[in-house]
Amino acid sequence: MLELLKNLAAWLTSPAQWSGPEGIATRVLEHLEYSLLATLAAAVIALPVGLLIGHTGRGAFLAVNLSSFGRALPTVGLVTLVFLAGGLSVWPVYVSLVALAVPVIITNTYAGMAAVDPEVKDAAKGVGLRGRQVLWQVELPLALPLIMTGVRLATVQVVATATIAAYVSFGGLGRYVFDGLAQRDLVQVLGGAVLVAVLAVAADLALGGLTQLLFRGRPAAAR
Amino acid sequence: MNRRTVLTTLLAGASAPLLAACSSGITSLKGDGVGGDSGSSSGGLTIGTANFTENQILGYLYAGVLNAAGVKTTVKPNLGSREIVVPALRSGDIDLLPEYQGSLLLYLDKKATETEAGAMQNALATVLPNGLEVLPYAAAEDRDTFAVTRETADHYGLKTLADLRKVNGKLVFGAAAEMKKRVVGLVGLKEQYGVEFKEFKALDSSGPLVKGALKKGDIDVANVFTTDVDTAENGWVLLQDPKHLIPAQHIVPLIAARKADSKVRKALARLGNTLTTAHLTELNRLVDKEKQDPDRVAAAWLKKQKLD
Amino acid sequence: MTIEWGWFPDHADEMARLTADHLATAVPAVLLGLLIALPLAVLAHRVRPLRGFVLGASNILYTIPSLAFFVLLLPVTGLTRTTAIVGLTAYTLVVLVRNTVEGLDAVPAKAREASQAMGTRPLRTLLTVELPLALPVIMAGVRVATVMSISLVSVASYIGYGGLGQLFTDGFQRNYPTPVIAGVALTLLLALVADALLVTVQWLCTPWRRGTTSRQRTFKWRKAA
Repeated sequence: MLELLKNLAAWLTSPAQWSGPEGIATRVLEHLEYSLLATLAAAVIALPVGLLIGHTGRGAFLAVNLSSFGRALPTVGLVTLVFLAGGLSVWPVYVSLVALAVPVIITNTYAGMAAVDPEVKDAAKGVGLRGRQVLWQVELPLALPLIMTGVRLATVQVVATATIAAYVSFGGLGRYVFDGLAQRDLVQVLGGAVLVAVLAVAADLALGGLTQLLFRGRPAAAR
Repeated sequence: MNRRTVLTTLLAGASAPLLAACSSGITSLKGDGVGGDSGSSSGGLTIGTANFTENQILGYLYAGVLNAAGVKTTVKPNLGSREIVVPALRSGDIDLLPEYQGSLLLYLDKKATETEAGAMQNALATVLPNGLEVLPYAAAEDRDTFAVTRETADHYGLKTLADLRKVNGKLVFGAAAEMKKRVVGLVGLKEQYGVEFKEFKALDSSGPLVKGALKKGDIDVANVFTTDVDTAENGWVLLQDPKHLIPAQHIVPLIAARKADSKVRKALARLGNTLTTAHLTELNRLVDKEKQDPDRVAAAWLKKQKLD
Repeated sequence: MTIEWGWFPDHADEMARLTADHLATAVPAVLLGLLIALPLAVLAHRVRPLRGFVLGASNILYTIPSLAFFVLLLPVTGLTRTTAIVGLTAYTLVVLVRNTVEGLDAVPAKAREASQAMGTRPLRTLLTVELPLALPVIMAGVRVATVMSISLVSVASYIGYGGLGQLFTDGFQRNYPTPVIAGVALTLLLALVADALLVTVQWLCTPWRRGTTSRQRTFKWRKAA
């Protein structure tokens, strides 16, 4: 055990391991590329949907249960399916990561919108604001903390799952897990796992910090 | 329905499957030696297979002949690559594994130089850890080869592995990740033939990734198995190996010695004598191309050969 | 990509077997997770300094890629179902600890104080007042953990114990979409049924909540907090 940890420390700190086309630096950047693009794409799809459902109240059942469905969808299965349909390309990676993130963002966006005190919405209408104005000027700002939580959760999940890219021959930190497994190199596997965990936690903290920055001075609503 | 009653019932109901799982699935925490109870408790044999269809077919063939001989078997298909499966054999989680002479020998002894079937069998007997044994090898063989498309072969004039030296640093080689470190792989190609590639892509060996990549042109040289039917279908050129880097790879049963009683030996020997490379290639074709199930294909073949 | 509809009736046995196998890995993982999570969460809830550590550690555990976890367990628990179960338990544990702590947090202090005022010992208060009141949130966690567990089992196909996930590897190796579609559909179905079952269990266990809608309840909690 101690031996393994010692080797791991050596692996993580050796400069040779960090440089080159298969080095840690490259793999981390690839991993970030898949994760950030996928989360962004998911947000672009999910935010409007979540806002619409939250604002109109229609389709609430879908929003609440979508995250269950998204959680149940086996990523390996989806990746395989897209691979078989489209051949060797990066699509399986992005389709499955987006499919993972979209439900989380929709559900949390809806939750944020649903938590807006109906009395506040009433007051806004009373002051003369029309539907769309209520959405943009009242509901969205109040729902933003929970929406950000959704984006954070989604990002962490996507970063942790982007290892799947290596399953269909691409890069990212998953490469260390799969190659280490194939080569019976536990240090590599552990190294990959540790790096993914660190990256995910870092992403979470970064987004948390961003949320704090955006909502400085706001009351307890912000987490 | 009183809340307390419901909670108590729930607890009772929940503990039952938990206890069941404990007694059946959760074996000792030791990884070696004392042997898991996954198959050996009933006196039967647990056959494990690696993560490619041919190995599964072989596993079911073994199961078929052993069942016919009165030996109870359980097949655990698709357990992973050799690196995962062989240690499982050592620890007793499985008892029998269809293996390939050459690759197995080099996996156990990186410095082995034997390339001829008989010599390898002897070498294997020496280097195998205690408790494991290889039974006589089958007529059938499935070698690793290195394939290029017809276009690549014509373009660079490639016929043998030595020819690859002409294009050192130009071609991309794709294979399972473990091939990077195996002698029957990147390491051996460099040492024996002085071949260097522009890039190594970790894909899989003779699997959908490497074959897809070769077809698409993402790689130039692919690690493909000789019994793979896609070679003929795509007109790929298998580079020849004059220096015998790739040793003979007859199918050989790797078994936990304590399970190798006379019934088992006889049954597996009968199989080994009957199964030829042509048979194996055809069985692969039925499973990979016609999408038939490995266990049914194996059973049908055994019936035809009167081995069941 | 076409589906071979004939495959389904032809492989009904196999689908049943794989589903049973799938559950045999997923269910113990949730139960084991619950077994460990409940006392751990109570501890984290009661002991201030431990709370941060437990929640932080579980957050980190959650981010470790599941395949890596299974592989790292191989030398310890061997190529057995145990490896898959232990790996999955780590993930269910994270969800269950989080939800149990949250649930206990949401119990109004007044309820606990009232119980103590009646002279009930702390353990009894925990078991008869706090946990039952926290049950909705805990059950929500059990639901999430169960669905997640059912989905993650397929990752264990890499070490041969993937249940329905074996259909994915099979389809992948042979360029055969039908088993993959079957696997995805069955996994989703399994998760749906399990979730519905748990909702029913929760409904049965919390008779005092019947008659209010979820929106009313959310609003009441918020007002109370």
